[in-house]
Amino acid sequence: MRDHQIHRRRFLEAAGVAAGAATLGFPLPLRAQAPAIKIGVIHPVTGPLAEPGQACRLGAQMAADAVNGAGGIKALGGARIELLVGDTQTKPDVGRTEAERVINQGAQILMGSFDSGSTAAMVPVAQQRRVPFLVDIAAADPITANVAKAVKEGQQKLQFVYRNFPTGSSFGKKAVQYFGEVFKEAGVSPRRVVLMYCNDLFGQNNAKGFQAAHAAAKPSWEIVDVIPWPEPPQDLSTEVSRAKAAKPDIIAPITRPASAQLLFPELRKQRVDIMGIVGPGSPGLYEAGQLAVLKHDLEYVLASIPWANFKNPRTAKAAEEYQKRSGGKTFDTNSGYSYDGIMLLADVLERAKSVDPDAVVAALKATNYTGGLMQYGGPIVFNELGDNPNAITTMIQILGQKPVAVWPKEAALAKLVFPRPKA
Amino acid sequence: MKLLGAGAIAVLLVLPAFLGSYAITLFIFIFFYAFLGQAWNIVGGYAGQLSAGHAAFVGVGAYTAAMLSLHAGLTPWVGMFVGGALSACLGVVIGYLGFRFGLRGFYFVLLTVAFAEICRIVALNTEAVGGALGLYITFTGNPRQFQFQDNRVYYYVALALMLSATGIVAWIERHRFGVYLSAIREDEAASEALGVDTFKYKMLAMAISSFLSGIGGTFYAFYLFSLQPNAVFGIPLSVEIIIRPIVGGAGTLLGPILGSFILSPLGELSRAYFQAAGWSGAHLIVYGALLVGVVLFLPEGAYPFLARWLRRGRSGG
Amino acid sequence: MDLTLVGQGLLNGLLFGGVYSLTAVGLTLIFGVMRVVNFAHGDMMVWGMYLAWLLATRLGVDPYLGFVVCAAALFAFGLVTQRFLVNRIVDAPHEMQILLMLGVALILENAALVAFGPDPVRVRSALTASTIWLGPIFVDVARLVTFGVAIALTLALYLFLTRTDLGRSMRAAADNTYGALVIGTDVRRVYAVAFGIGAACVGAAGALVSPILPFQPSGGLAASVTSFNIVIIGGMGSLVGAFVGGLLVSLAESLGAVFLAPSLKELVSFSLLVIILLFRPAGLFGKGVS
Repeated sequence: MRDHQIHRRRFLEAAGVAAGAATLGFPLPLRAQAPAIKIGVIHPVTGPLAEPGQACRLGAQMAADAVNGAGGIKALGGARIELLVGDTQTKPDVGRTEAERVINQGAQILMGSFDSGSTAAMVPVAQQRRVPFLVDIAAADPITANVAKAVKEGQQKLQFVYRNFPTGSSFGKKAVQYFGEVFKEAGVSPRRVVLMYCNDLFGQNNAKGFQAAHAAAKPSWEIVDVIPWPEPPQDLSTEVSRAKAAKPDIIAPITRPASAQLLFPELRKQRVDIMGIVGPGSPGLYEAGQLAVLKHDLEYVLASIPWANFKNPRTAKAAEEYQKRSGGKTFDTNSGYSYDGIMLLADVLERAKSVDPDAVVAALKATNYTGGLMQYGGPIVFNELGDNPNAITTMIQILGQKPVAVWPKEAALAKLVFPRPKA
Repeated sequence: MKLLGAGAIAVLLVLPAFLGSYAITLFIFIFFYAFLGQAWNIVGGYAGQLSAGHAAFVGVGAYTAAMLSLHAGLTPWVGMFVGGALSACLGVVIGYLGFRFGLRGFYFVLLTVAFAEICRIVALNTEAVGGALGLYITFTGNPRQFQFQDNRVYYYVALALMLSATGIVAWIERHRFGVYLSAIREDEAASEALGVDTFKYKMLAMAISSFLSGIGGTFYAFYLFSLQPNAVFGIPLSVEIIIRPIVGGAGTLLGPILGSFILSPLGELSRAYFQAAGWSGAHLIVYGALLVGVVLFLPEGAYPFLARWLRRGRSGG
Repeated sequence: MDLTLVGQGLLNGLLFGGVYSLTAVGLTLIFGVMRVVNFAHGDMMVWGMYLAWLLATRLGVDPYLGFVVCAAALFAFGLVTQRFLVNRIVDAPHEMQILLMLGVALILENAALVAFGPDPVRVRSALTASTIWLGPIFVDVARLVTFGVAIALTLALYLFLTRTDLGRSMRAAADNTYGALVIGTDVRRVYAVAFGIGAACVGAAGALVSPILPFQPSGGLAASVTSFNIVIIGGMGSLVGAFVGGLLVSLAESLGAVFLAPSLKELVSFSLLVIILLFRPAGLFGKGVS
């Protein structure tokens, strides 16, 4: 009884000190028990990217809880993973400051940050302070490529930045490949594809990658019109009218949730007659919130996106937990890759057997991890640029108002339906 | 007063020896935004021509220096002046259009916003400057490329920028140029009537202000290592630039500096505090309330209030 | 050039203009009477949208009926804001006015984020999907209705300002504050009501637009900028100007989307703004530069 009371008072003291110290930014003195391993997890949880940012943070937290629940990092005496969370507000200067702040509070590893601008601003911090930085999600190729180049040219000694996410160029290549395979599987040969995309960083990057891959592959289908819109749009009626005027067989949309909510009803209202909607890869086409708003407009829509591997029994459990903790949301690209990011880091720590930056980086480079929940084309490894070449996309389809993997065959959980049935 | 200023500068000079990297980063942003605010202060505070589009100048300077570095290998130490010059050109264009056509007050504000937005949309759609993806600068830590492995060097660069801009404004204050600007701010029609060439002085203020902002853009590019149109031309950056001098006291020498020293740490504290509580967005509500509070309780800005309070203290005792 | 496309573009632009007009009317009233620039305009509209969403999802009230409640709620908000905040800065330097409304905008945006979360949402209404086809061209019924309501609202406001005592006091205060004071007008009350009505318009606009646009907390800024554009082009303080300005801006953007790349359509409206600012800053229907 006595011990319990003393323990509780000590805990409250510690919590008070911790709160005060954390606020003032002073590094905490270590307490008894195996010290927690602090990972700085920084995402845009406010501002225009708040929706994916909050999903990433929750995914990371779930993974940390899973690792701790299974006994922590065994190679470090069962040390728990503690997340120090940060908000970039989608601003690069805030991203940099947050990275510095969590490192000051003891973060030994960084993860983040979805938005390429903030991520690029955090790279110098990682390099300057020698803190390993795992990019869980970010599209721009140069983020890792530039660091690799600097190391190669001798301007930097060691690469601290690694990315476990498909790069912009790989999105495009896989999408073009899947388009061809899906058409062949369905036994149809559409000729005219209209590419429509949101004109922000992600949309432009993907659209460019898609067009470049198309030009390189020279398939039997043509991109007959390319229609970008400012994101977020208030009205897409003219854009859809333009698409309709191009007489498409297929509409290939790259959207964000807001623009998808405008695009799909508009396509139906204007009675654009097509074989189907096949997305080269973007959010907005499969999330629980989107399905709730768009309902049957999304039925039969195909999208080539980074997706979780639902053939893995652990995935279904994680998805269920995520649904509960997020108030009904889908375990998808954002939450999934942040989840895998923490799981990956746990594996790295087990192999590094220490939090020393050189040991962690060496362990990162030697990664060969198969415990991820997302669909990969092989184990997680890092190439000479610091990217994971096995991070790929999967073609999913909305069937029965639920997103399910339909291609490639190894990942498919249902048979693909194409062309879409006439309404 | 001068002794106080010298003392403060001395303290700022030796501070990095005692601070960790996080605190140094905070100071860097305090100095940087104070610098941008001071640049704005020339035309927005002293001349009274409110601009909410100063991000346009920062952006032009940033993109220029970055492009010259990436494609022509030109060191940003020179590139920053080219960027500043281009920004000044844009400033002169906007100033000419605004002042020649007699735009005042809110109409001028909206003209500046329109130009910043036009720059943003053009950059967003121009492949050559990277479009929405923007430009990425490799971190090498090489001083010849205006990059430093040690955060502390950035601290001194930012401090130097802030002090230079303040020095320029102090010079303006002390000379006829400053008197004319104040006259224009108080009553432009009367100044015209008295024979002051208001157009010339407003244009000069605009040119200097935009030139300095352009130089700030280079610092931005080589401290944050990437440029995206929405971040560097967008309205949120323009807002960050103007709130510091307004809170500190527009048209006063120390206003932008005081404003930056108030807003940056408070914003940082509230974000750090609310982060743990898990309410994303709560810290910005606090920030907004702070701005409202300043307007209600310090309607002339923090510096005039502080100056009066100090004076009263001294004369009372 | 595909004539059908051009025709559809024109029709789309015109009808969507009703949406724009509706959002600008409240702003022009506030500026016209009080010479205060409401930077929180877009965020107030977003709150109107969220209130309509709450009514639709929790109580099943269609936004085409529920907009009255949203208008009333924002009217109250406008009164309170004016009485306790805006009133204090009516004579303050411009930069302080801007700072105040920026602060209010920040608070509104993030309160919405905390209250409703970051996901974009849309309100379902019975009219959301209806279309009327005229040959190869279609008319979006929801937008047609909004267009109609925009006309009705502008008309109602116009009648209020010209036919009622309170409205006339408002116009008097707008034209000559000192004179209005001299003849005994309670200028403070006039200002409060003006701000309240302006806010109510914005709230109604938000509700009526909520089935058409997906919205999220961060959408306020873009809405504010668009509304400022429209009000300047149409003429600050002119109701007719706000209405026509909304149509014009929407038409310009729509035609820009047809002939240029749609991603450049905002460029068209900003360029239009610059031209108006330079050559006719009072706007198309405005009375004179203040």
